[in-house]
Amino acid sequence: MNPTFKALSALLSYPTLNLLAALPEIWRILAAEAQLGPEQKADLAQLIKRLATEPLLDLEEAYVLLFDRSRSLSLHLFEHVHGESRDRGQAMVDLAEIYSRGGLSVSGGELPDYLPLFLEYLATLKADEAGAMLADPLAILQALGERLAKRQSDYAGIMSALVALAGGASESEELKTLRAEPLEDPNDKEAIDRAWEETMVQFGPGDPDAEGSCPLAREAVARMMDPDPMPEERSDG
Amino acid sequence: MSHFLDRLAFLKKDAEAFSDGHGILTTEPRGWEDAYRKRWQHDKIVRSTHGVNCTGSCSWKIYVKGGLVTWETQQTDYPRTRPDMPNHEPRGCARGASFSWYLYSANRLKYPMIRKRLVKLWRRARRKADPVAAWASIVEDEKKAKEYKAVRGQGGFVRAEWDEATEIIAAANAYTIKRYGPDRIAGFSPIPAMSMVSYAAGTRYLSLLGSTCLSFYDYYCDLPPSSPQTWGEQTDVPESADWYNSGFLILWGSNVPQTRTPDAHFYTEARYKGTKSVVITPDYSEAAKFSDLWLHPTQGTDAALAMALGHVILKEFHIERTSDYFEDYCRQYTDFPFLVQLEKQGDYWVPGRMLRASDFSDGLGETNNTDWKTVAFDEETGNPVLPRGSIGFRWGEDGRWNLEEKDAAGAHTRLRMSLIHNHDEALPVAFPYFGNRKHEHFASTDHADVLERAVPVKKMALKGGETFVVTVFDLLVANYGIDRGLGGENVAATFDDDIPYTPAWQETITGVPRQQVIEVARAFAENADKTEGRSMVILGAGLNHWYHMDMIYRGIINMLVMCGCVGKPGGGWAHYVGQEKLRPQTGWLPLAFALDWNRPPRHMNATSYWYAHSDQWRYEKLKVDEILSPLAPEARLSGSLIDFNVRAERMGWLPSAPQLNQNPLKIAKAAKRAGLEVADFVVRELKEGRMSFAAEDPDNPDNFPRNLFIWRSNVLGSSGKGHEYFLKHLLGTVHGLQGKDLGEDGAEKPEEVKWHDEAPEGKVDLLTTIDFRMSTTALYSDIVLPTATWYEKNDLNTSDMHPFIHPLSAAVDPVWECRSDWEIFKSIARAFSEVAPEVLGKEKDVVLTPILHDTPGEIAQPFDVADWKYGDVEPIPGKTMPAITVVERDYPNVYKHFTALGPLLERLGNGGKGIAWNTADEVKGLGDLNGRVTEEGPTKGMPRIESDIDATEIVLSLAPETNGEVAVKAWQALSKITGRDHTHLAKPRQHEKLRFRDLQAQPRKIISSPTWSGIESDEVTYNAGYTNVHELIPWRTLTGRQQIYQDHLWMRAFGEQLCVYKPPVDTKTIAPVIGRRPNGNPEIVLNFITPHQKWGIHSTYTDNLLMLTLSRGGPIVWLSEDDAAKAQIKDNDWIEAFNVNGALVARAVVSQRIKPGTVFMYHAQEKIVNVPGSEITGTRGGIHNSVTRTVLKPTHMIGGYAQLSYGFNYYGTVGSNRDEFVIIRRMDKIDWMDEPAEPSKEARS
Repeated sequence: MNPTFKALSALLSYPTLNLLAALPEIWRILAAEAQLGPEQKADLAQLIKRLATEPLLDLEEAYVLLFDRSRSLSLHLFEHVHGESRDRGQAMVDLAEIYSRGGLSVSGGELPDYLPLFLEYLATLKADEAGAMLADPLAILQALGERLAKRQSDYAGIMSALVALAGGASESEELKTLRAEPLEDPNDKEAIDRAWEETMVQFGPGDPDAEGSCPLAREAVARMMDPDPMPEERSDG
Repeated sequence: MSHFLDRLAFLKKDAEAFSDGHGILTTEPRGWEDAYRKRWQHDKIVRSTHGVNCTGSCSWKIYVKGGLVTWETQQTDYPRTRPDMPNHEPRGCARGASFSWYLYSANRLKYPMIRKRLVKLWRRARRKADPVAAWASIVEDEKKAKEYKAVRGQGGFVRAEWDEATEIIAAANAYTIKRYGPDRIAGFSPIPAMSMVSYAAGTRYLSLLGSTCLSFYDYYCDLPPSSPQTWGEQTDVPESADWYNSGFLILWGSNVPQTRTPDAHFYTEARYKGTKSVVITPDYSEAAKFSDLWLHPTQGTDAALAMALGHVILKEFHIERTSDYFEDYCRQYTDFPFLVQLEKQGDYWVPGRMLRASDFSDGLGETNNTDWKTVAFDEETGNPVLPRGSIGFRWGEDGRWNLEEKDAAGAHTRLRMSLIHNHDEALPVAFPYFGNRKHEHFASTDHADVLERAVPVKKMALKGGETFVVTVFDLLVANYGIDRGLGGENVAATFDDDIPYTPAWQETITGVPRQQVIEVARAFAENADKTEGRSMVILGAGLNHWYHMDMIYRGIINMLVMCGCVGKPGGGWAHYVGQEKLRPQTGWLPLAFALDWNRPPRHMNATSYWYAHSDQWRYEKLKVDEILSPLAPEARLSGSLIDFNVRAERMGWLPSAPQLNQNPLKIAKAAKRAGLEVADFVVRELKEGRMSFAAEDPDNPDNFPRNLFIWRSNVLGSSGKGHEYFLKHLLGTVHGLQGKDLGEDGAEKPEEVKWHDEAPEGKVDLLTTIDFRMSTTALYSDIVLPTATWYEKNDLNTSDMHPFIHPLSAAVDPVWECRSDWEIFKSIARAFSEVAPEVLGKEKDVVLTPILHDTPGEIAQPFDVADWKYGDVEPIPGKTMPAITVVERDYPNVYKHFTALGPLLERLGNGGKGIAWNTADEVKGLGDLNGRVTEEGPTKGMPRIESDIDATEIVLSLAPETNGEVAVKAWQALSKITGRDHTHLAKPRQHEKLRFRDLQAQPRKIISSPTWSGIESDEVTYNAGYTNVHELIPWRTLTGRQQIYQDHLWMRAFGEQLCVYKPPVDTKTIAPVIGRRPNGNPEIVLNFITPHQKWGIHSTYTDNLLMLTLSRGGPIVWLSEDDAAKAQIKDNDWIEAFNVNGALVARAVVSQRIKPGTVFMYHAQEKIVNVPGSEITGTRGGIHNSVTRTVLKPTHMIGGYAQLSYGFNYYGTVGSNRDEFVIIRRMDKIDWMDEPAEPSKEARS
C-alpha cells in the first residue's frame, strides 16, 4: 500500500467538506514521503494551506474553471493522447483491464483514465511498481504541471510531486508535442480560438518560398517570375 | 526411390516464391494482427440513433466493450421495400458517425452545475428558512436577484448535488405558482419525434403543474402556414422513398444532398431511373449538381417564379386545351367549383367570402351548421348544390363528411368549375398587386396597385338580396392574368406580355429567362398529365423562412393542385424542414401533456411568446400599412403587429401565456366569493375591465415568465431569433443590442399594449437548462443539469422521411452524474412534491384555451371579425373568446401522478384530429405489462410509468400506428363520420402490437392510421393526401377540399385570398447604423441567409472539432466574388456583419457559388468556438441570430375559423428571418477579448 498516491488522489479531487477535514492527515502523509524534496513539499503545503483557508465555494468555482471547463487541463489522461479519436474507447478498455488484473473495477461513475482514479489504483501497488506505472503518462503530468503553473495555479504542485514520484522529469518527444499545444482557459479566449482554428487553405502555388511548399509549383513560379526565361536555349526557335 | 515415390502426393514443399514471383511466403510472427482483431472485439452491440433535431432517424450499431462505448457503425437491417424499389439503406452520415466521442468528451457536462453566486445566496437563505421562503428571500430582494442575473453567461459555476439542484428548482417553481401562477413557468423543447419520451418527461411535469409548454415548429419557421391554410394539416409529406416513384422532380430551396444525406440516394436512384430533375436555388448549391436544369432566381422572389409557372400550366392545360385528368381531379378534390360572392368596395368589385347554405332562405334544405356548408353549381342542372364534405358536415352529424360526388341529400352531382359558358355577365374584379412596392434591394415593376380583370359571374337572389357569385376557378384564372376572351385590361394574350403573372413579367423580378419558365412548366404538367400526378416538388427552408413564405408555398401548391399531384404516389408537395413526424402521436399526447390526469394542458405559440417577453415588440419597425392590401376592407386594422396578436388572443384565436393579469389559482375563490360560476365571473370581470389579458401588459412584473426550462434545445445558441433581445430583457445580462426602442425613437406606440418607459431587464428568475454539453444556452443558465446522451437512454424516434419507428437504447449507463431526461424530471417532480406543501395543496386552476382546430369548436366565427372588447359581440367562452375550464391541481402529489397512468384515459377515452375512441382495454393491458402501483395513495392500482421503457410502452400501446387493435378502432371512429368503411386499411395488421424490445430487434414499419393522410402498404409508399384522394376522406378545411381560396377577412385585408407575389419586407435595420462607426474599410449591404449546414450536427451542435476541421474551424460566412471585391475582402479575412439588432464576427469564404447580393451564414455556429470580439458591440461576437429579430405576420394569428384555428405547432405566428439585411465590413482589428469579463460591462451603443 502506498498512502502518498491516495493522498495526492484526494488532493486532486473536487474539493468537498470531507476533503477539507482530511487535509491534516493528507499533509502528514505527504510530509513524511521520502521521495519528495523540500521544494515539492513546500508547493504542496501552499496548496493545502489555500484549501484549508479559502471558502469552499470559491475553491469549487476555481476547480470547475480549471478542470471541468478547460480541455487542456482535463484530468482524463486520454483526452491528451487520443482526444476525440475512436482509439480512446479501446484505450480506456485496456486500462480497465489492468485494474481488473489487480482485482479492482471502476465504480463511482468515473472513467478509467481519470487521474485521481489512476492514482488511487497506484496506491494499491508497491512503491516501485507504482513509480514505474506512473512513468507511462509522465509527459502528460509534466505538461499539466507546466500549464497549471502558467495559470498560476498551486495545483501545479501535485503534478511536480507526481513527476518526482515517477522518477523525475525527462524531455521526450511526447512532451514536446504537448508543449506545442496551445494553452486553453475558458476565460482566456484568445487561446481557445487558436486551439480551434484551422490553418488557412490556399489554392494555387501560394508563397513559393514557404517551407514545405510544392517543389514543382516552386519551380513553375520561379520560371514565371523570371524576366528572361532563357529564350536562347530553345532549340525549335 | 522411384520417381513416383519421390513425388509428394499429399503435401507440397513451401516455396519461397510462387505465382511467377508475385507471391512470397514469409514466416514472421503474426502477433500484430491481434491489434486488428481486438479493434473489432466487443461485448455487445446495441441499436440506437441520434435524437438531435434531424429527420434522419438512422439505425446505428453502438459497440460496447468493458462497459464503455467504443465506436458506432451504420445498421443495415431495415425491412426490405419491394421488387423494383430501392431499399432504405444505407442510412446515416458523417455527422452521426462522429457522435460517440461526445460521450467522453472534455466538453461533456458531468455534474449538475449552479451559478456560484446563486448557490451562495441559496445556502445562506436556506439555513434560516424552508425552501420556498428561502427562494422568496432571494428573488424578492432586487439587489440579490441582480447579483446573480447580471453575471449570466460569464462562467462562475460550481458542481452541485442533485438533491440541492432539484430543491432549488422545486422551490422556485412552487414560489412562482403561489405568488404569480403556474402559467408564469414555461418550458421549451423542440421536435419531440426525435426522442419523444425525453420531450414528454419535461412537458408531463410542466402540465401537471399547469405550466406552459412552448411550441417550436412555428417558432423555428419550419412550419409552413400554407399547409394548414390549404389542407387543414400541419404538414404531411411523402417519405423519401416516394421520390423514386416520381417522373418529374423539382428541388426548390432545399439542399437534399447536404441536409438529407441518408435520403439523398433515393434522389440519385430516381435520376438513374430517368426522372427529370429541375433544381431551383439562388446559389450553386450541392443540390444544383442534381439538376438537368438549374434555375437561380433572385433569393426571396420565388413566388414570382411559381406564379409564372402556374400561369403557363393554367393557360395551356386548363384553358387552351383541357386535360381530363386535371379537370376531374380539380373538380373533386379542390375548391375550384365553389362559389365566392363579389362585394362592392368603393368603385371596385372585390372577391369576398365563400357562399354558405345560410345565404339561402331555405338553407338549401339543411339545418345543421348552415353557416359552414359551402355551395357550388351542379354542372347538369345549373342549380346551386351543397356538396358533401365541407366542414359543416363534420360536426354535429354523421355519415356525410366525405368527398363522394354527392350533394347533401345524397343525389349524384358533378360540380361546375367555371361559369365561362354560363355567365350572366363579365364583371371587372379587382385584385391587389404588391410587386410594385419599392425595396432597395429587390426589383419591382410599375404596374398599378389594383389590377381589374374580367371574370364571368352569375347573379343570384339570396337572403341578403341580389348577389354576384363567381367560382374559385374563374377567380384563379383571372388572378394569374390569363386572357379568356372576356375583354378588359390586365390580362395577357401571350407569355411575352409584361403583365402579372406571365413568364415575361417575372424576368424583371427573378432574373430567370422566360423560356426556361415555359419549358419547365410544360414538362412538369405534361409529365403529371401522362402519369396521373407523378410530378413532385421538394421544397424547404430556402423558401419557408421568408416573411411572405405563404405566397411562395401557395404558388407551388397551386402548380401541384392544378396538375392533380397531391395525394398521388410520386407526386405532391414534399416539405422537409424540421418536421420530424411524431408518428405515434395520439399515444404520446396523453403521456406528454398529462392528459391522463388533467385536461386541457397549457400550450403556447412560442413565436408570440418570445416576441412579447424578450420585448422585441418594443423595437418593431414594420408598420402594418406596409403589408396591408390596397383593397383591404373596412375593419379594425390599425396599430402595431403586437396589437393584432393581442386581439387574436382576446378573440380566442391564439393562446396566451401567461393568460390573465391575475394568478389563475386565485380566480376560482374570487368567483365563489362573488357567487358566480367561474366562467361567468371571468367574463364579467373581463368585460368590466377589472381583469385583462397578460398580453396587454407584458412588461408588468406580474406577467414576467419567471421560470424557464430549456431541454433538448440550444435556444440561445441557435434558434433564438433576436438573440441580443433575449440577453437584455429576459436574462438581464451583457448584450450587444444596437437599436433604440419606440420610446427612445419617439415613434408611435402600440394601441392595445401598455407602454412602460423603462423596459424591464432580467425578467426570468430561474433559467434551468438540461443538456449533455456546455452549450451557449447552458452558459447563460442558472442551473445546468447533465443529461444522458443518445447512447445512454431508452426512447423512441420517428421521422417523416421513412415509415419506421426506431428506438434509442441505453448501450451504457449515463456516465458521471448524468441522468436521462425522464429521470431528471422525475427527480424534479419528486423534489417538487416534497417542497410544495409549504405553500401549495390542492388548488383550483382557471385555464384558458383558444378555439382549437379539429374540435367542434373550430366552427366558431363564420363571418366577420368581432372583438368583444370593443362591444362588437358579447364575450362568450369558446365562441368569441377563449374557452374557460377549471382544472384541479394536486401539487403535493405531482410525483405520484408523474409516475402512474391517470384515470382520464379510461373515463374519457383517447383520440386526436377530431376522432375519439375508447381505450380502456389498452389501459388494462398497460397495467398488466408495466405493473400497477402498489403503494397506498391516489395512484394505487394504476399502471406504473417508472422507467423510460415503461413510458415508451405507454406510447406504443395507446397509438394506432403501433397497436393494430387501436388502429382498427380509430378507423372505425372515422368511418362513422365519413359514412365510408376505412377499416380495411388496418385490419390486416389488427393483431400486431409493437413493443419497445421489438424495435430494438429491428425498426418496424408503422400501421396505417387516420391520424395521417398516407398509408403503409405493400403497394404504395407513404404519400400525403393519399387517403383524401383514394378513401374520399375530406381535407380538414372549410370546403373539405384543398382550399386554394382563403376567404377570412384578415386574409382579404392582407391581400392573400389568392396567391400573389409579394417582395420581401423592409426590416429597417440598416439605415441607423450604416456609415456611423467607420473603421476605414468599405461597408456593403447584403441579404442575410442562414441555411442548414454540413459541419454541425444539424442545427444544434456546431462544436464538434472533427466536423469543424472539414471546414474552417469556426464561424464563417459565404459571399460572392463581386461583393467581396467591392468590400475589399479576401478569402479568409475576418469580417463583421451587423445591423441594429446586433453584430457577429466570422471569417469570409469568398466563392463563385454565392449569388451577388447575398451572404450565407450556416445556421447555429456556436458563440463558444473561435469567436473574437466585435468592433461594433465591444462584446464577444454574436451568433447568427444576433442580427435577426422576429417580425410577426397578422394572417398567422387568424383563429376560430375551420382550418384557420389554433393547434399546437399547427398554426400560429412563425419566426421568419430571411428578409434581414446586414452590413458586411472587413475587420480592422481582431480583438480576442482576453481580459477577464467584468459583470458591469455594458455594450457600447
